Amino acid sequence: MCRLRTRRGRSGAHNNRSVTSQQPHERSLRQRATLGLGQLARATTIRIAGAALVVVAVVGLSLWLQQAAGYGTPAVLSLWFGVGLGVVFERGRFCFFCILRECFEERNSTGIYAILAALAVGGLGYVLVAGAFLPDPSRGRLPPGAHIGPISPVLVAGGVAFGVGMCLAGGCISGLLYRVGEGYSRAPIGLLGVLLGFGLGFYSWNTLYLSFIAQAPVWWLPAWLGYGGALALHLAILGGVAVWLLPFLPNLPARAAQPISLSSIGAALFGTRWNPLPTGALVGVIGAVAYFRVEPLGVTAQLGSISRTVLHDAGALPARLYGLDTLAGCATQVGQAITTNGWLIGGLVAGSFAAALLANRFQISSITPRNSGTALLGGILMGWGAMVSLGCTVGVLLSGISVFALSGWVFTLAMLAGMWLGLRLRLHHL
Amino acid sequence: MKGLRSVVGTPAVALSLALVLLLAACGGAPAAPVAEAPAAPVVPAAPVAEAVPVGADAAPILPSGNTAPPLDEVLVSTEWLAENLDSPSVRVIEVSVIPGVYERGHIPNAVNFVWHTDFVDTVNRDIVQPDVFEELIQQAGINSDTTVVLYGDNNNWFAAWGGWIFTLYGHEDVRLLDGGRVKWEAEGRELTTAVPTFPIGNATVEAANPALRVSKNDVLSVVEGKADAVIIDIRSPDEYNGVIFAPEGFQELAIRAGHIPGAVNVPWGKAVNKDTGEFKSAEELRELYASVGVDGSKPVIVYCRIGERASHTWYALHNILGYDVALYDGSWTEWGNSVGVPIANPTGTIWGAQ
Repeated sequence: MCRLRTRRGRSGAHNNRSVTSQQPHERSLRQRATLGLGQLARATTIRIAGAALVVVAVVGLSLWLQQAAGYGTPAVLSLWFGVGLGVVFERGRFCFFCILRECFEERNSTGIYAILAALAVGGLGYVLVAGAFLPDPSRGRLPPGAHIGPISPVLVAGGVAFGVGMCLAGGCISGLLYRVGEGYSRAPIGLLGVLLGFGLGFYSWNTLYLSFIAQAPVWWLPAWLGYGGALALHLAILGGVAVWLLPFLPNLPARAAQPISLSSIGAALFGTRWNPLPTGALVGVIGAVAYFRVEPLGVTAQLGSISRTVLHDAGALPARLYGLDTLAGCATQVGQAITTNGWLIGGLVAGSFAAALLANRFQISSITPRNSGTALLGGILMGWGAMVSLGCTVGVLLSGISVFALSGWVFTLAMLAGMWLGLRLRLHHL
Repeated sequence: MKGLRSVVGTPAVALSLALVLLLAACGGAPAAPVAEAPAAPVVPAAPVAEAVPVGADAAPILPSGNTAPPLDEVLVSTEWLAENLDSPSVRVIEVSVIPGVYERGHIPNAVNFVWHTDFVDTVNRDIVQPDVFEELIQQAGINSDTTVVLYGDNNNWFAAWGGWIFTLYGHEDVRLLDGGRVKWEAEGRELTTAVPTFPIGNATVEAANPALRVSKNDVLSVVEGKADAVIIDIRSPDEYNGVIFAPEGFQELAIRAGHIPGAVNVPWGKAVNKDTGEFKSAEELRELYASVGVDGSKPVIVYCRIGERASHTWYALHNILGYDVALYDGSWTEWGNSVGVPIANPTGTIWGAQ
């Protein structure tokens, strides 16, 4: 994918016009230079106090959720999985759009290794968990709750729309969620678009379901290859991609030996972007553990449920959405105000916010009618794509590929095609 | 179960899925075999609404001569089960309504029977065929003298249905874990994801006991006064009275609302203690059913909406009180959709009318 152009961007120079998450940091560095020492200390204190407040709030919420009727342990666990993801996404800049754009445009494959690591570790974790849930994969059953979706032209269309939408909005849905925590003002607008897109998805669902999805095959690799065979193939593909992209890695900076101290650990955690390999590995671990204890990771179920509930209550939805609730994926529902998934994405924003405060990367960005419009439109495309694909880059790509669902790969390829198209059309510079 | 995909989502969706699956997989009794023994005394039954003589040659209900066994031979406590989990003569079986519940953690040494594929014929609307069931229980390591202990979610709804099928097919020692999964979990007891395997068992399946199951025609002969039995509708009062066709979210509907003429309404939940999910005491149960005229002096027929949940009440009446009880597993989705059978609908709801 990185061979579309020459390697001139290999040194990793960032494109200042693009919506990389580099900007707020640079700006804050500039600000820091203009502040006095006393002011600096005061600003730092405020940031640390803010992060501490977030932690206190999440702990308090956990205590309440644990005993609240209808919530309990799954909600608490989801909240903390969300916090963990928020911190890892923010510190490792695990933004599918940013990572892929860097690779496509700048010939820099650094971030791709975070995705590959997440999928490799996720696959190892899922083999253990799914293997415990469903010891014999050959008997025609699927592991409970796993995101193994139907493969149809709709999944391809959903993936392409999602890829184009990412370019317009400057991030995928999980990317927008964590960047809410960084103060990226276009993110809430993009997420509003996602809600609208989900609504369009529900309207188009019955037609698409009857025409394409009802007869679509659900392919799960371990059913043919066994768990061992599926894992071997999985790791071979990821390893192959990893080797293929090695030439597009920038040189490592020279680093002198340094003592390990609290301040050097602090700098590693909150000073620089995390190395992509531990970043991805942590995402993979959280994914497998979340599947073990609650459900596969996904970030759209709550958003979709909001759209579905609002439309349902307004009487604007078809009386029946055929087959929707029988398919595996980021499932939406009518009724419950905050689902388990809601606590996860709430935790994600909170975790990212706390991490951004500590890393001094929280910066409220400006919005214009123009960049709001593109964020909204991109959100709509992503919302529609995620609805008809039963998930997004997290639910279908990450949780799907990790459990060896072919639907995860199909969505990924379609999304890459959509993104390539979006970048060629320079939609991210609109 | 081969070739069948159980595509499940999050717990919330799994519930919806379970509801949808009810469509495809209900036990049922089209022309079930019924013994041709002499009829119980034919007494005019309770009010009959414009009975139409369809299937008037139906065989009457046969008393099974059931008596109540000692309570600890039909219900086991969580303490008892915890102590006997490793006993080779005990086989624990989970039957949960929601797919994926067993897989995410079950009582140690429990095997999983899936209600919508293992206990039904997936093509005919009928219970599982005897040869298929025999293979299933032998694979689970069940011998003819094994103590089978069933438990599940939702107050043992479908675990009780499994108990009915085991008893129907002649297994001697069948028990329910009183309080089911909920009580086991509430007491903080051990769960595991490890799936046990056992040596093949030697249990055999006998011909289905006709005294425990009735068909539409059997019920019709009661409604028409040709056989004597009391009918219990275990659904909610709103369904019984015809206020609603089916509860919110359920896809399997009947074209008529109401109940079988002459049936009395005792919602299944009245048979359990709300807090623990355990069955009420035999004395309380006897009083509960006596208050609607069910005292064991006549054969009893129980039914619900799709035919499985009524097994819970069947279990209480048959195994705890020792009454003669048969399950009408065609239930309201058969009766309320059948042409030419009478219904009672106090509310007067008409399909399609607002």
